[in-house]
Amino acid sequence: MDFLAEGFRRAWGLLVAGDSEVYGIALLTLKVAVVATAVSCAVGLPLGYFLATRRFWGRRAALTVVNTALAFPTVVVGLLLYGLLSRRGPLGGLGWLYTWQAIVVGDVLLALPIAAALSAAAVQGVDPRIRRTAETLGAGSWLTAWTVAREARFALAAVITAAFGQVVAEIGAAMIVGGNIRGSTRTLTTAVALYTAQGDFGLALALGLVLLILALVVNIALQVLQGRGHA
Amino acid sequence: MLELRGVRHRYQGRVVLDLEQFTVPHTGATAVVGHNGAGKSTLLRLLALLEAPTEGQVLFNGTVVPRRSPASLRRRVTLVEQRPILFRGTVRENLEYGLRVRDVGRAAANGILADVVERLGLQPLLSRHRHELSDGEVQRVAVARALALRTDVLLLDEPASSADRAAAGALYRALAAERAARPFAVCIASHQLEDAYRWADDIRALAEGRLSPVTPENLFRVELPAGDGVKTVHVGSIALVVMTDRTGPAVVAVAPTDIFVSREPIPSSARNVFKGRVTGMAIEHRGAGVHVRADMGGVELVAAVTAEAARDLALNPGSAVVFSFKATAVRVF
Repeated sequence: MDFLAEGFRRAWGLLVAGDSEVYGIALLTLKVAVVATAVSCAVGLPLGYFLATRRFWGRRAALTVVNTALAFPTVVVGLLLYGLLSRRGPLGGLGWLYTWQAIVVGDVLLALPIAAALSAAAVQGVDPRIRRTAETLGAGSWLTAWTVAREARFALAAVITAAFGQVVAEIGAAMIVGGNIRGSTRTLTTAVALYTAQGDFGLALALGLVLLILALVVNIALQVLQGRGHA
Repeated sequence: MLELRGVRHRYQGRVVLDLEQFTVPHTGATAVVGHNGAGKSTLLRLLALLEAPTEGQVLFNGTVVPRRSPASLRRRVTLVEQRPILFRGTVRENLEYGLRVRDVGRAAANGILADVVERLGLQPLLSRHRHELSDGEVQRVAVARALALRTDVLLLDEPASSADRAAAGALYRALAAERAARPFAVCIASHQLEDAYRWADDIRALAEGRLSPVTPENLFRVELPAGDGVKTVHVGSIALVVMTDRTGPAVVAVAPTDIFVSREPIPSSARNVFKGRVTGMAIEHRGAGVHVRADMGGVELVAAVTAEAARDLALNPGSAVVFSFKATAVRVF
């Protein structure tokens, strides 16, 4: 019990004192998570809409692939990406291995199926008359999509939250392609794993708390956005 | 204006619409009548360019519409569905939606809105949201939202299905006023035949996805017994004498104009003679004819007579009436 209490005390101290390492890691994690969520949603949401609304050959197969990808193990994604980005790999020329960009790419690959599959489900949940009505009132493809998205805004906000949750808590790919380099690619999750292994429980706990706070703040922000202009 | 040519439309392999030709003329008022599931809503969705037919073509002013219809073309037609839906936002925002799509300026949009709001009595509803409206009110807002667009073609699917008689009357009056102010084509699907006869220039009947040569009054599903020639089939409590070589399940129809109406049974060659009571009468749009509905012991039959004949026979709801028609007047499909 003392050990836990001591951990919390040290964690609190680090947070209050504004420990530069803790905040540096938190900022990097936030940057990676925001960029990866933005990219995966920018691609995944339209993809989900497309899968939900267009009838084309192979649509069912595409939905199955996306749904299967939801359960893709993060370390496997990390491993494959490592193969691609390593110096001998086809994308080695980019020089992205062990950079924060590599973590973003790994996170995007993991969050993209979430954004696509869940937004497809969200759009399928919207009354089909909404889309037909927008079209018959003369809306083009983009405005129709926007009108449908407005109706599904709660579900779509949940999709963004889920994608952010996946990205911010992800460790496998971040560890493998990021390399957990201090001051450069060390994210909250990889740091927690490292400091726990090193026995610095207080520091690990402080970082864990920051991770929780980060998730909480983003969720609250999304809820506030959802709440604006109900009905 | 709008035309379907050689259209065969399937849902999950089943043919739901099979029309050699169907035209919505430039400024006409067309009514499509038929039972539920006859294909009316599908027909309107094809005419609204929301779906492309599985086979066949849709033509707009003589030009074939591409399978993925361009928005510019869709903006000239609009459809109000049978159970319309409003977008989130206020009634006013809903009414403005199509005008914003068309980049109509603020002042012009306000003028148009004031017009339709007045016509359909929507003033008290403008700041309400969809969950604060009754089904009938939603339907009225949806009709107003479509009327505001001033499209060349207006398609209405059972526009008065959720309205009471007074509201339905107001809706048809608004439509008539709009048509008097600006000519455009209207096509309404309805199972309310009286409404159709009252205002449409042209009535087409749909039965099981096909155009039926008679309107769907006196349209019955029967089981034809084996044998050639004259047969007796049972429709509810009455027995129809039919002349056909067909056997098995079929649809039989009697055109209202083929029914001879009298107050007493009179000797004639008609094999089908039914006594009953008048349940309703409707004057046709052009005023020349009267549709007389009568209950023949649980089965309703409709006959068309001239206004003069109706007067001479002193027909009124409740009067005793006799309908007669020949076995050859019963058409088998």
